[in-house]
Amino acid sequence: MKSKISRRDFLKLSGAGLATAGVLTGCGPTSRYVVRQPYSSMPEFGQTGVSTYYATTCRDCTAGCGIIVRTVEGRAIKAEGNPAHPVSRGKICQRALTAVQGLYNPDRITGPRRQARGGGSVEEIDWDQAVEVVGQALQGNAGSLAFLLGGTPDHLFDLVTELAEALGAPPPVRYSTLQMFEGRSTLIAATEAVYGTPAVPHFDMANSDVVFSFGANLLEEWLSPLAYTRQFRQFRQDAAGRRTGYLVTFEPRQSVTGGSSDLWVPVAPGSEGLVAAAIGRLAAEARGGGVPPAFAGVDVNAAAEASGVPVETLTRLAEMFATARQATALPGGNALGHANGLESAVAILTLNSLSAANPVSIIPVEEEASAPQGSLQAVQELVDRMRSGQVSTLFIHGVNPLFELPSSLGFAEALAQVPQVISFASFPDETALASDYILPDHTGLESFGYQRVQAADRPVLSAMQPVVVPLYNTRATADVLLAATQQAGAGLDYTDEVAFIQSRLRPLLDANDPDGLFRADEMPTFWAQFLQYGGWWTQSPRLEPAEASASGGSAIRPPEPLQSGQLHFIAYPNKLGDGSVANRPWIQETPDPMVTATWNSYLLIHPDTAAGLGVRTNDVVLVRSEHGELETSVYVYPAIRPDTVAMPFGQGHTELGRWAAGRGANPAVLFPPQANGAGDLAFADTRVTLSATGRRRPLALIESLDGVYGEGH
Amino acid sequence: MAAETSYLTGARADLEQSELAEEHLMLDPRPREEMNQMVMEAMTTTTPVYWAWVGGLALIVAVCLFGVWGYMTATGIGITGIRRPVFWGVFIVTFVFWIGISHAGTFVSAILRVFKAEFRRPFTRAAELMTTFGLAGGAMYPLIHLGRVWTFYYMVPYPNARWLWPNMRSPLVWDFLAITTYLLSSTIYLYLPLIPDLAMARDRTTGLRHRIYRLLALGWRGTEAEWHRLRKAINIFAFAIIPVMFSVHTIVSWDFAVGVVAGWHSTIFGPYFIIGAILSGVAAVVTILFVLRSTMRNFKYFIRPEHFDALGKLLLVFSMAWAYFFFNEYLLSWYGGEEAVQRILTLHATGPSAWVWYLMLICNVAIPWLTLWNRRIRRNPLAMFFITLAINVGMYAERYTIIPLTLGHQRMPFDWGIYNPSIFEISIAIGTMAMFCLLYLLASRAIPLIPVWEVQEGQMAHSLKKVGKAHVPSVTELE
Amino acid sequence: MAQVTEQPRKWGMVIDLDLCTGCNACVTACAMENNIHYTGEDEVAYGRGLYWMRIQRYWHGEYPNVGPEFTPMLCQQCGEAPCEPVCPTYASVHSNEEQINLQVYNRCIGTRYCANNCPYHARVFNFFDYEIPAPMNAYLNPDVTVRSRGVMEKCTFCVHRLVHARIDADTQGDPSLENEVTTACAQACPTNAIMFGDLTDENSPIRTLFERSERGFQIMEELGTFPSITYLKGGGVYGGRD
Repeated sequence: MKSKISRRDFLKLSGAGLATAGVLTGCGPTSRYVVRQPYSSMPEFGQTGVSTYYATTCRDCTAGCGIIVRTVEGRAIKAEGNPAHPVSRGKICQRALTAVQGLYNPDRITGPRRQARGGGSVEEIDWDQAVEVVGQALQGNAGSLAFLLGGTPDHLFDLVTELAEALGAPPPVRYSTLQMFEGRSTLIAATEAVYGTPAVPHFDMANSDVVFSFGANLLEEWLSPLAYTRQFRQFRQDAAGRRTGYLVTFEPRQSVTGGSSDLWVPVAPGSEGLVAAAIGRLAAEARGGGVPPAFAGVDVNAAAEASGVPVETLTRLAEMFATARQATALPGGNALGHANGLESAVAILTLNSLSAANPVSIIPVEEEASAPQGSLQAVQELVDRMRSGQVSTLFIHGVNPLFELPSSLGFAEALAQVPQVISFASFPDETALASDYILPDHTGLESFGYQRVQAADRPVLSAMQPVVVPLYNTRATADVLLAATQQAGAGLDYTDEVAFIQSRLRPLLDANDPDGLFRADEMPTFWAQFLQYGGWWTQSPRLEPAEASASGGSAIRPPEPLQSGQLHFIAYPNKLGDGSVANRPWIQETPDPMVTATWNSYLLIHPDTAAGLGVRTNDVVLVRSEHGELETSVYVYPAIRPDTVAMPFGQGHTELGRWAAGRGANPAVLFPPQANGAGDLAFADTRVTLSATGRRRPLALIESLDGVYGEGH
Repeated sequence: MAAETSYLTGARADLEQSELAEEHLMLDPRPREEMNQMVMEAMTTTTPVYWAWVGGLALIVAVCLFGVWGYMTATGIGITGIRRPVFWGVFIVTFVFWIGISHAGTFVSAILRVFKAEFRRPFTRAAELMTTFGLAGGAMYPLIHLGRVWTFYYMVPYPNARWLWPNMRSPLVWDFLAITTYLLSSTIYLYLPLIPDLAMARDRTTGLRHRIYRLLALGWRGTEAEWHRLRKAINIFAFAIIPVMFSVHTIVSWDFAVGVVAGWHSTIFGPYFIIGAILSGVAAVVTILFVLRSTMRNFKYFIRPEHFDALGKLLLVFSMAWAYFFFNEYLLSWYGGEEAVQRILTLHATGPSAWVWYLMLICNVAIPWLTLWNRRIRRNPLAMFFITLAINVGMYAERYTIIPLTLGHQRMPFDWGIYNPSIFEISIAIGTMAMFCLLYLLASRAIPLIPVWEVQEGQMAHSLKKVGKAHVPSVTELE
Repeated sequence: MAQVTEQPRKWGMVIDLDLCTGCNACVTACAMENNIHYTGEDEVAYGRGLYWMRIQRYWHGEYPNVGPEFTPMLCQQCGEAPCEPVCPTYASVHSNEEQINLQVYNRCIGTRYCANNCPYHARVFNFFDYEIPAPMNAYLNPDVTVRSRGVMEKCTFCVHRLVHARIDADTQGDPSLENEVTTACAQACPTNAIMFGDLTDENSPIRTLFERSERGFQIMEELGTFPSITYLKGGGVYGGRD
């Protein structure tokens, strides 16, 4: 249904027009369930014309930013940052801002359905039938069940883990494209190797005066963009507004972080670890007192040659690092997405031990650390199981593998071997439409939950609560699973989702942490405050300095040289993240910071390379790797290595509604199926050849090419 | 009454009397009634070709102008090619173009009347009609280009309960008032000299036409008192309308000069626009005279090469004046030293739309300068037709350069933009051109296009005096 | 209701280009706050995106010493605004209470003169009636007019927030409530590069920065527009190492 919104309609909408639609009243601080009530019995906090604000947590990436959603008369108006929340501190990024466009997206799935895979007949079912379908699946052979979840460490993951344990099914498999692009598994593995704890470390950038970022695009898409951007601010200026801090980025494509850095060093893809090791050795020498064993065997000249960074630069930077009051080296993104990614991450992390003050610390949360991270390896195993017919029912939630996984992994073919696929997607994405059942979950702004925040300076359990009454006939996946379990008799002892969440809050309540944000004697009060504040966290940072324990790093293999005609291909996430938000028009319309492009894909290419190929901005090129090919428009980008091309992730949907489908190209088709030592996809090892197609497809740029680049563009 | 030498003084004395008569309308008198009949015949003769043109033009007006305008009103002005930062495009260009064209009517008629340029006599009416119809076309654009045309009356200072008044600081309000004034006064100025001719037509028609002319002629009988008053009124209007004419186009130029837009904010825009307007207007008069001469019966008698010759000289002068101002713009920007302006002027000549700039210079300078020196070319109506068409193309290009091309390259290069006119706005521009032609076509069969009484008056005043062996033309001061 | 009569405020903004990372969060925040319509790929490509705020990105230097220069560009709320005198209908007017440039949508007839005359290109035009398919229109902010086709729009310094804050301050008799107000862009800005405040307030944190920062400059100062936004020069190294 489309409707033009005239001013008159708008007034109607904001006035009496919605009275019949019901209003969300059950969402008060102490409420537990969401019920529809007529306007006549509006609670006092739902006063007409006065906004009500609900704290919840953004679900669009795994950072777990606290947000506050302004609602007016039962409608969610705008998401804003939660000023109290230790991750976001009142700030917000595009994805959370456009959350309401996800909530009110006209392409949502409105109710449970059975369907023929790949389009065709769709049969609406009711939730009783849906629960029965899930229940029967759970009653079957537990070993042939498979759960594929997104990367967010949330209550659903905990519930499914518990469920799988109770059923004797394999534990849920997780995959998150964003974590893959961050190299989170690699980072955790490297942290374990260097510091002995498998966790996401916390880097104290704010108090550093020198920061070396090896591929970590911390301002745009790294562990926790808002938190690290805030640190960047403290790092960049002191309280008096004087400029402090020196940021050096080592990355082949200048990212937003590279753009804001003081020095951008375009290293050859895959050589970041070598550079870090070389700097480590030179810094240790400059500092005196011996070279740590990890860097002892490094050949500086070889590293300089492999990376394309002159030895003088390395020496200068090493001296800077060695003499800094506190120097930080950040491993991330491109640097880890190589076959040598784990070794690189270890080298980069180890570099931190050369800092005069230790910038790395770890949050002491055991549960956190034990949670398995999503990685390509786990997905690969799942695909193998699926392919060999060992999976009878596949449950998919929070991930869109047909879009996100490298097509070379063969997920699509493996999916065909699975007799029954049940998707819990809220939107008609590629995987949902290739499932037998879609049992739509609420969207993030309609549901309860919690999320454990991994990259914060303290333990944070961020709360989710519905800010509006669910728009459609959707049901919380946790409730569906619990109901089905009870039907299957495999009883988990929770009446519903909220009961499960509260059971998980119980340890916090019992611990009665004196530094906790709030304390309560019984659950209803704790629960109310939990929702009201937007989560539970300690009032002061709680970090344990990480002590490097590793004695030596393994040698880092230099990247294989390019064959003639080949170019490095780097995909990177931007505002679109893993592509699940591509169906929000304003996130599409928001310009890319570096390219100012909207609504489409583009290939960043160095001017000389473009000239050699005979293409200009807006010309379409064919990008071909060993594993696939795609076509996209070129953007001639002055800040990228001549031997590298780059492309943002997130476009190229074939489904996902009117704003996403048929737009741009998906770089996942080019990725090799190889993983690095920690099981993360070696996406940055992709090599491609380019050929001009002779066609032109102008990008929707905000900038004037004539004005910015001069004539002839 | 004193005998004066007139514009004919320069005529070659060795010409025979018959040659002089052939050359000069004023020296080639015909009986009054014959002349009246000639004009009446031209006015009442219609051919199928004429009706085909009327039908075709009416269709174009209905579809291209009103149809597209209606469609645009219903869907939004987005169907044009305007965009950020080029918020004015073909509409305003065409607006300025028509306002410019409408200048020459008054110029040719009023200024030449005031300065007693005798060659004006046969074509003042044609020129005045051009003013009125040009204004009618041009005045539509301030409405057409509005985003919300249905609220146009907010620009009118009408009393209302909220005490909301138009912003008298806005050049657009000045525009609105100036154009209204000009339209009103030029229509009266067209009407006044028309009265004796309408009376002439009244006396020679029957039926409905007769009744209409009787009404329009206001009971004109041709008494001495009536003539006296008419001359007085025309004289007053001729003097009064000249400042209006100058002010109108100055105000149109202020639409631009008042802004802070780089390349617009210039003190020479007033005279620059006026000179440009007169250049394009006089050129348009020549174009129209050629068309009238070649299509209307008996008009070859009234409109002769001498008129093309005289107007051609004017054109050359104004082309040079225009070139001076054009050069001046560069001079001032060089002297002013504002980087943005200099960049814009450079980009006009080098940017992606540089061909418009070159077209302007070729049509406005190269073509007139290379041809109009030559008397034989000036006296060749067909050649003059093409030259004046070229001048108007050049003037359109000038306005195009000044408006969208200047707007597209302002102070922030990040936000530059290239404007591509859409088919719809071109269609509306063509529609007003068709409307102009249509109105002219209809008027040519509705009112005497030749001010017969003025021609006759001139012919009465002119005579050949024999001085020695030569015949010297002379003219008598009538008033 | 207590009517507090005080001297008019002058709201202003300071944008620290040294802190701006160009992330564009402000752009989206502005759009979501102010019911700004998306226009789609073709319209954006043709320069018709309805951005009240945009981040200009220029480049400096040559590879490898190349980098972007970001300038968030929005309505500068000029003291002597070029858009105001040229509007024939007073749709573009100066407000006494806030000292900003208002755009009165109801009064706008769409001459677009103001947009031509704005040296900052801060104004955008509703070329069409843009559709928001139901139910997505539910998120529209009831405090902000949804603009119809044919009118200009631009950054308002979130005037609805300013007015709300003034009413709150008046009704509760606590003028300090008004000082807490901020714009959507400043609220979202992850580095606090955008700072908003009252320039007449002695205690306002931005007042010193606005008037006296040695890095401060205003864009196109030479035009005499008296912008309400001061930019702090970025990129250089001052007082730090190197």
